[in-house]
Amino acid sequence: MAKQSAILSVVISLLAHPLAASAQQPDAAEIVRGAIDHWRGTSSYSEMTMIIHRPDWQRTMSMRGWTEGDKRTLVRVTEPQKDRGNGTLMIDNTMWTYSPKVNRVIKIPSSMMSQSWMGSDFSNKDISRSDDIVDQYEHNLIGTTEAGGHVTYEIQSVPHEDAAVVWGKEVLTVRDDYVLIGHEFYDQDGMLVKKLTSLEIGEMGGRSVAIRQRMGKVDEPDEWTEVRIDAIEYGVELNDNVFTQSNLRNPRN
Amino acid sequence: MYMLRIMSTLAWRNLWRNHRRTIIMISAITIGVWAMIFMTALMRGMVNEMVRDGIRALPGHVQIHGRGFLDDPGINNLLPMKDEDVTASFDAAGFDAWAGRIRVPAVVTSERDSRGITLYGIDPVRERDITFVAGDIVEGRFLEDADDSGVVIGRKLADNLETELGKRIVIMSQDPDNEIADRGFRIVGIFEARLEAYETSMLFAGKSAIQKMLNVPDRINEVVVLGDDYRNVDPVVRKVTDLVGPGVEVLPWYEVDSYLGTMMTVMDGFVLVWMIVVFLALSFGLVNTLVMAVFERVREIGLMMALGMRPTSILLQIVIESLLLLLLGLLIGNVLAGATVYWLRDGIDISVVAAGMEMFGASSLLYPQLTAHDVVLANVVVLILGSIASLSPAWRASRYDPIEAITKV
Repeated sequence: MAKQSAILSVVISLLAHPLAASAQQPDAAEIVRGAIDHWRGTSSYSEMTMIIHRPDWQRTMSMRGWTEGDKRTLVRVTEPQKDRGNGTLMIDNTMWTYSPKVNRVIKIPSSMMSQSWMGSDFSNKDISRSDDIVDQYEHNLIGTTEAGGHVTYEIQSVPHEDAAVVWGKEVLTVRDDYVLIGHEFYDQDGMLVKKLTSLEIGEMGGRSVAIRQRMGKVDEPDEWTEVRIDAIEYGVELNDNVFTQSNLRNPRN
Repeated sequence: MYMLRIMSTLAWRNLWRNHRRTIIMISAITIGVWAMIFMTALMRGMVNEMVRDGIRALPGHVQIHGRGFLDDPGINNLLPMKDEDVTASFDAAGFDAWAGRIRVPAVVTSERDSRGITLYGIDPVRERDITFVAGDIVEGRFLEDADDSGVVIGRKLADNLETELGKRIVIMSQDPDNEIADRGFRIVGIFEARLEAYETSMLFAGKSAIQKMLNVPDRINEVVVLGDDYRNVDPVVRKVTDLVGPGVEVLPWYEVDSYLGTMMTVMDGFVLVWMIVVFLALSFGLVNTLVMAVFERVREIGLMMALGMRPTSILLQIVIESLLLLLLGLLIGNVLAGATVYWLRDGIDISVVAAGMEMFGASSLLYPQLTAHDVVLANVVVLILGSIASLSPAWRASRYDPIEAITKV
């Protein structure tokens, strides 16, 4: 689920299709599935800013991202100059990175999947998976609130016994227009470990989008990563060669 | 022969003319021999424990791998034959104990941390006779069968990951196509090993579960066979080689774990060096005693020569005297060493220095081990080198000029 939320934050492309008003008590798994389908169900092009904050320093990176469905993602850093050209390509659950400094495309091995992505609070694993949240968990609707004309669903997702997920449970807060409000990760003792929060929600690219999202560990409130969407466009025509290793290395778009 | 008897009688009586000196010398030899044998037994015991522990910590006596496995121990060097074929042929061959494993490097992740480890997919039923883990479970249980979906991890690793018995962890590795293979497992058992390194670096899971996770159904990459004695594994190696044929690597434990293997070889050399060093210290005392004995008896020797005793007999007499001295010392020394080893047969507790011992893989209980080979070696070294050392004073005694010797004051 971590994966999904991450994708979310990086590529934020929630569709603004309100849940069917007729359903009195919508099915939790369907909300989650619907959310994923809608935010990754189409292609998108976005420009983002990522702020990595630490107690004694902070750095800001600008990047551009392309997505197609929930399986293909390409992210490339544009600013600052020294990181320019660093890129990450994800196809299914496999991930490659490219750094112009070493001029090599590196496939991220399993041993590095739990390491941080570009020094942020997202792990490679957070970033590279998307749809596991649907079938690797047991979803339960645990709360419904109404505020500001929107219904917000709180869904508790407990991973299956053999799911490759370390968390004891995750709690997703999803608005009825599929904008993810929050995503909390609890350990197996029920303690909150880290959470993703949408700080700002607005209209962009013709949809409701979480414009600013922050991921941080609960233990260290001074350490967080914030992703801000500067511009996003949905339903763009993407050439097949966008999501290739050669494009990762030699940008043509 | 008659001559020899006279010489022996003379030597024996001469020995007890100055019994205080003789007793001191015999004590010195006794202590030397005791030190040689007992200390060797101690060191043997230590190495023995190390090797046995080392073997129980997974290598077994003989291992079988695909070629290249030792250079790249992972999923890409599987055994060419199928798991079930291995099972059929090894069961038919009637080994004391054997087990197939799948062993890959992996990363284990908890909510708070992740660690690199070696993942062992094992058949717990077979593995019980081979590895230490089954007996060292301190919490929970050992795996029940190859399909068990739980894992057993070390106490220290659990602490590092801030997880505990009953919680889930995620194991990540790679399948043969270099695709990520991962799965969640519940911790069903926690083991403690004598060496911390084992606790942090090993993780055991059911073989079938791992085969499924890694997408290599019915394949393994390691077979371990146990014979009856780790010092004599060649017959097992031969038997296994005949069984599996070419195309795979059959290695005895001392090549799999060359540190342990080298340990044994170094030990043999060390024992000899130790004995010679002890003997050298001893030989100065011996030579000095004999020189004194000869010096005291210059006139007597001159007289015997004047009466017609041959220089050879003089030489013989002195050498026999030293041999008697050595034999007495050896006898008492051997008995004493044997008694000490017997007395300490339940082991010596050296836990005071356990932390240091652990560093090079030894345990904190030391069992001295007496081997016939070492005892014979000690006795032979003392007898042969002792006789050689006594040759110099004996030679000098036999070279005296009778007239000069008699008139010497």
